[in-house]
Amino acid sequence: MGKDQPSATRVGPAAREAIFAQLADAGRAEQVARRLTDAIILGVLEDGERLPSETELARRFGVAVITVREGLGMLRESRLVETRRGRDGGSFVTSGTGHEGALEARLSTVSRVELADMAVYFATILGGCAERAAARSTDDEGDRLATWLSGASFDSPAAARANTGGFYLEVAVLSQSPRLVREQIRVQAEYGPLLLLALDDSTERESTARVNASIADAIRAHDGERARELVLGQLDAHSRGLLRAKDALDREAVTSGPTRLHPAP
Amino acid sequence: MVPRDSIQLPERRATESPQVSERRAAESKGASAAHEISALIAAVFDSLESWRTEILSTLGTSTTPAALDDVVSRRVLPLLTDDALLIGAGFIASPDYVHGRDVHFAWWLGPLESGPIFGSTQEPTRLDLSTRGYADYLRDVRGLEWYATPAATMLGHVTGPYVDHLCTCDYILTLTLPVLAEDRMLGVIGADIAVRRLEREVIPVFLTSHEPLALVNADGRVVVSGEASVAPGSLVRDATSWWDCAGTPLRVVSLGAIRDNPS
Repeated sequence: MGKDQPSATRVGPAAREAIFAQLADAGRAEQVARRLTDAIILGVLEDGERLPSETELARRFGVAVITVREGLGMLRESRLVETRRGRDGGSFVTSGTGHEGALEARLSTVSRVELADMAVYFATILGGCAERAAARSTDDEGDRLATWLSGASFDSPAAARANTGGFYLEVAVLSQSPRLVREQIRVQAEYGPLLLLALDDSTERESTARVNASIADAIRAHDGERARELVLGQLDAHSRGLLRAKDALDREAVTSGPTRLHPAP
Repeated sequence: MVPRDSIQLPERRATESPQVSERRAAESKGASAAHEISALIAAVFDSLESWRTEILSTLGTSTTPAALDDVVSRRVLPLLTDDALLIGAGFIASPDYVHGRDVHFAWWLGPLESGPIFGSTQEPTRLDLSTRGYADYLRDVRGLEWYATPAATMLGHVTGPYVDHLCTCDYILTLTLPVLAEDRMLGVIGADIAVRRLEREVIPVFLTSHEPLALVNADGRVVVSGEASVAPGSLVRDATSWWDCAGTPLRVVSLGAIRDNPS
């Protein structure tokens, strides 16, 4: 942990270290692309920021330079980075992009089965938190949760993502279980960027805000079963939204690219 | 909370039935447990008080982050040894005290044994809020109980037990004291006690009582329990006898009725 670190950047050295930690074997170029995409979505890598050199990235990820180049190529295709030549050249996080490019890029690196499983695991942890919160929170705590929620904005994708994540964390805290809180933070860091991309859609944002309020009401009413069911339903909606988006992307690729029924030999 | 650490016991009479004398024994165990817990918390508040005095006398009503960090770390770091009662301590300065900054944290964490998120550490580390990116939704910590309550009451406060997701990711009590100068709050000085560590101090005292006892907060939230069916973190609202831990919002409750009539 860094000392005397000014709190200007949103996410600190630990998060940055984690991004550049070494990668496992399979699909390394995709993993490079995925890591960097998450970092861009989360804002760990900021608009306009220059990425470390290809050699440096290769060293940090523990992969070949050519693999890094391939990964960066994927990011370029999604218009998340641009490469400039010359003395001040390098790969830069494209400024001014929304998350649309990121969503497409991220969805293309994850399989449908992984996506569905992510949502199941996330919902199991958060559903457990909500159930325990309903059993254990005092009336005051339930009221504070509802008050906090009613002041939170779900209008823009960024606000909806931050506040939904914050709401989930508050629910976990009410469970009184440090282990559940730690696990919720972990799954939120690992899967949150992807799952909460569903909130790019305004209908999804509205229904999420509404369901969040119902979850808070169920917790206030000490109705653990209902709180858990609502959480499961919400995560199911997030994952369905993403699967639909992935489906659309895949179809687009099929109609634009050459059709190939059999894998190349 | 009304201090009630000196419970009036009637004179013991020779004709007393065994049940009555057993109850009286339990009564005195509960009272002495509350007294000991009270003393333990008071000792931590004494430390906070001395840091507060030093901050005010050496720094006055205006300072820089560096000067503040220096004074606080010199007092706090020696206390954050492995297995110490305190697992974190420091000073949270209000924005206008450390000028040109947001709320400034001069806060250190003791060695953390299990850190699935932040890793384990052997040495005290400085709290770096920027590593808590997931807490971005918390725009202002001044709304949190350990800051807001001392700011409103101008008195010391015990927050918790609660899961602290900003510092330790553990179940803790936070003790805070406002640092006041000319009716202005410069910040709060505070210390964290992990419930798992506090338990080691409290349980031996509870075990001298035949009647099961628990330490609870003002909401009835269990901090330490001497009864298997009552878990820490749960709520006990129907205790019939209790002893306040003077100077704190905590109390020791008798769980005899709960043990005898499990729901």
